[in-house]
Amino acid sequence: YEALGPGCHLHPFNVTIKSDRRGTCRGTFVVHACVGYCESSAFPSKYSVLLASNFKHNITSVSQCCTISKMQKVKVRLQCGGSRREDIEIFTAKSCQCDMCRLSRY
Amino acid sequence: QPPFLLVSSIQLHTFTGCAVREFTFIAKKPGCRGLRVKTDACWGRCETWEKPVLDPPYIEAHHRLCTYNKTRYVSVKLPGCRAHVNPIFTFPVAISCECSMCSTENTECETF
Repeated sequence: YEALGPGCHLHPFNVTIKSDRRGTCRGTFVVHACVGYCESSAFPSKYSVLLASNFKHNITSVSQCCTISKMQKVKVRLQCGGSRREDIEIFTAKSCQCDMCRLSRY
Repeated sequence: QPPFLLVSSIQLHTFTGCAVREFTFIAKKPGCRGLRVKTDACWGRCETWEKPVLDPPYIEAHHRLCTYNKTRYVSVKLPGCRAHVNPIFTFPVAISCECSMCSTENTECETF
């Protein structure tokens, strides 16, 4: 991704889709992602946090991450062999904001 | 090595990346008085993104946050502790910081 400043912004990228139902439908489209730099910090934990974590969490991290706040479905047309076509719907980001990080993988 | 940030710097508004930054807090525990402590902690803006994908859950996320990379520990003696209370308070000092996942091993991960 290109260099961006602080904040969380729409960013176009190419997606190539191949439909494998009969093999040969495909198309390349521009959709939007959200990319950016949101604030985060880490500092020594308060005593209450230490106590609650059995003195394991001696660091507290407070963070925001660049997220998709609105998604939109768009209809796109895949070209198959010959003159056959197939319409499908794909998602694109409509708006972005610095918001909760997904901290699912620990 | 990541830079050490100057606290008064106007460039904080435009800074991207993750750096060691001076941080002041009150070291406290029950039965003692608090002690004001200056230390090195981590602050910054990490590159993060979300993009739509074709399959569930339809969003792929790359979320990282600015946290401690290399850490050392410092102990201070809190003032005015009651007789039975251990006056030692130990806290982490950042030697370097990096954009990474939040590790629940040693970190209370808060996001909002």
